[in-house]
Amino acid sequence: MDAPAISTQGLTRRFGDFVAVQDVNLAVAPGQFFGFLGPNGAGKSTTIKMLTGLLSASSGSIQVLGLDLAKNSVDVKRQIGVVPEGMALFGRLTGAEYLNFVGRMYGLDRETAGKRTAELLDFMQLAEQPKTLVTDYSHGMQKKLALAAAVIHGPRILFLDEPFEGVDAIASGTLKAMLQRMIARGATIFLTSHVLEIVERLCSHLAIIHKGRLVAQGSLEELRAGVEAQAAAALAGASPGEFATSAPGEKLTLEEIFLRIVGGKGRSDQELSWLG
Amino acid sequence: MAGLSFSPDMREQFAAIARVRWQLFVNGLRTIRGRLEVVARGFMFLVVGFAGLGGSLVFVGAGWYIVSQRNVEWIAVMLWAIFLFWQFFPVMASALTENVDSSNLLRFPLSFPSYFMVRLVYGALEPATALGCLWLLGLAIGIGIALPGFFLWTALVLLTFAIINILLARMIFAWVERWLAQRRTREIIGVVFFILMICFQFIGPLISRIGRHSRPEVSRITMQVIRYERALPPGLAAEAIARAMHGAFTPALAAFALECAYGLVILWLLNVRLRAQYHGENLSEAVARSASPKEKRSLRFGWNVSGVPGPVAAILEKEFHYLSRSGPMLFTFAMPVVILLIFRISPQTPAKQGNFLAHAPELAFPIGSACALLILTNLVYNCFGADAVGMQLFFVSPVRFREILLGKNLASGLLLAGEIAAVWIAVCFMFHPPPVGITFATVAGMAFALLLNLTVGNLLSIYTPKKIDYAAFGKQRASTSTVFASLGIQAAVFGLSTVILLIARAYGSIWLAAVIFLILAGLAAIGYVLVLDRADRIALERRDTILAELCRA
Repeated sequence: MDAPAISTQGLTRRFGDFVAVQDVNLAVAPGQFFGFLGPNGAGKSTTIKMLTGLLSASSGSIQVLGLDLAKNSVDVKRQIGVVPEGMALFGRLTGAEYLNFVGRMYGLDRETAGKRTAELLDFMQLAEQPKTLVTDYSHGMQKKLALAAAVIHGPRILFLDEPFEGVDAIASGTLKAMLQRMIARGATIFLTSHVLEIVERLCSHLAIIHKGRLVAQGSLEELRAGVEAQAAAALAGASPGEFATSAPGEKLTLEEIFLRIVGGKGRSDQELSWLG
Repeated sequence: MAGLSFSPDMREQFAAIARVRWQLFVNGLRTIRGRLEVVARGFMFLVVGFAGLGGSLVFVGAGWYIVSQRNVEWIAVMLWAIFLFWQFFPVMASALTENVDSSNLLRFPLSFPSYFMVRLVYGALEPATALGCLWLLGLAIGIGIALPGFFLWTALVLLTFAIINILLARMIFAWVERWLAQRRTREIIGVVFFILMICFQFIGPLISRIGRHSRPEVSRITMQVIRYERALPPGLAAEAIARAMHGAFTPALAAFALECAYGLVILWLLNVRLRAQYHGENLSEAVARSASPKEKRSLRFGWNVSGVPGPVAAILEKEFHYLSRSGPMLFTFAMPVVILLIFRISPQTPAKQGNFLAHAPELAFPIGSACALLILTNLVYNCFGADAVGMQLFFVSPVRFREILLGKNLASGLLLAGEIAAVWIAVCFMFHPPPVGITFATVAGMAFALLLNLTVGNLLSIYTPKKIDYAAFGKQRASTSTVFASLGIQAAVFGLSTVILLIARAYGSIWLAAVIFLILAGLAAIGYVLVLDRADRIALERRDTILAELCRA
């Protein structure tokens, strides 16, 4: 069996007294499209920052492609691509200059970097405005550029923090096409997103973090089975109607699974007196 | 402009805006930065209070004196001084600070009169208004003491003048704000201000030059200027007061009426601008033109710098792209030559000892080079500041900080070399070619100073980075600790250089200074390499702090 593409043992991060991520043990196999979910403030971005070297871990260890990130950070970074929360863009370069720059930072020679830049700009439909500075790009264009920069060196693992946030349907389609190509090529993708429909459609495996702790991990089917088993067990000892289950023959959606795991019943039943 | 009455809704909205400003202020106190801001504001309040009350007393005395001496024409000079300060100070300050985004208010259901009033009040609460009002009050009191019977008339005219100033300042600011809302126009306005600042440097030398020759045409131009100034608000206000004192009431009333007309025109212009804002104008950046098919197909390769590793060359290229797109930085780079030019055009009379380069032109090259080093300070001591969120890339890419710093330092070194070459050429044209010994000693001294600055600069860039924007004027300084440390280093470098030059002079050979500088440069190079070797470890240890500072909004 292959070594996991990403694995963590007891990964913990504290900010003063606050524990943002606690004792997280992740295992992502090579070639997986892995979705990392959690409510706001659950610790997703903190975890992805630690996995990519943007943040130090308070304790625990991280292995990427069998290499210890702390000891072999340069070797690991050479094989991963990252779209971090802030997108890591240089606002006062043009798109082409930025991609060229990133390509060479990842060790590509100038000819290869130039050719891949042209291809990526064309693929991402960013070649129309060659003189426009990145700072003047729309949010969607910046996301596409950030993704292009993350893949220019052909990484074996791609880390994406909220790649679909603030992106329109057209740009989203381009990004998804790019990601699916990478998976077909054998790459591993680790992504966080709040758009559960997209995660459900793209990801083969998931992990859910809640209040800094990993509360579920596995394939979508495994998570679904776990939730249904829990619901069935609870139903056996509860009053009728207390636990809703899916109708016979209907599968639980990822959103339903997610809400049950993180206990997010929501407040949809509560009324606001002044709102009609 | 009709309907500026205060309905209960408007009062609630004004109260809410005042409350939210207060809450923002109180919440700001939670951070050290916020507390320091309060201290700075307290200090500013003291300065404004002192300047306002002190200036007011000066104007009381001046107003009393010129009216008592029957030199009422001099009121115009004082009103012009107040007017120019009132109008120029806030505009200059706005180019150096961030402006309030009025669109934040527009999403609320504010009526136009409410919006107009809020903008007027928001803007009026600034030091220039407070100072201007206090000075005018002082002037009115001074005139009132000298001629009590004219106090009410003077007060009315000066009150109108104050209102005109407030409205005009708001109108100018509303336009400046519109330009500052877009990156391109912001850069253009920044460059214009910088040119103005450089032009101010030439005023002194030019006046000295003109003053040395008593020319009749200068007097003629002055008389023409006086005729025009009487048609403008400060001149009209002064005219209204002076004519009334001379018993010419009809011309005084006419001047006052014209002053009021100015006020109405300015009010209307302000109204037009604020209405455009209120109805939601599009201030997005202009869309760049689309590329031609040829442009789309064309391959753009990075720079090829022989003997330099790819990532270092990439960083060098990126640094030059950043600098070349920064109007403020480009103008800063012109400063050493501009300073030499100012020295060159200054009068060279024996009595004028200020222009010492006229007496010691061989020092022009070292002085120009020292200026070139000084302008690099911000770049060297906060070298990650302009990268902002791009800094994340340095932490996720497989490039060591050693190479990243090398690329940035190489850019700084090449810039300094270019600057020194430009200074040398400028010195050759403006003075005469510097002697070989001085040229060599200066270059050796610069090598030492650069290496020392880069060594300390690299450390401070990692330890105390601060996000800056090369494209914006003002608020672009490094952190306070970095500023003090860099000042200390520069003082040490210049002190040491002076001692070395004195030693060389005592021994009668400038070449001795060159040798000492080369030895010091060698020592600095060792320190530089030691710091570079530790850069990775330090940067990784401090990555949380670095990214928190550079990636903040």
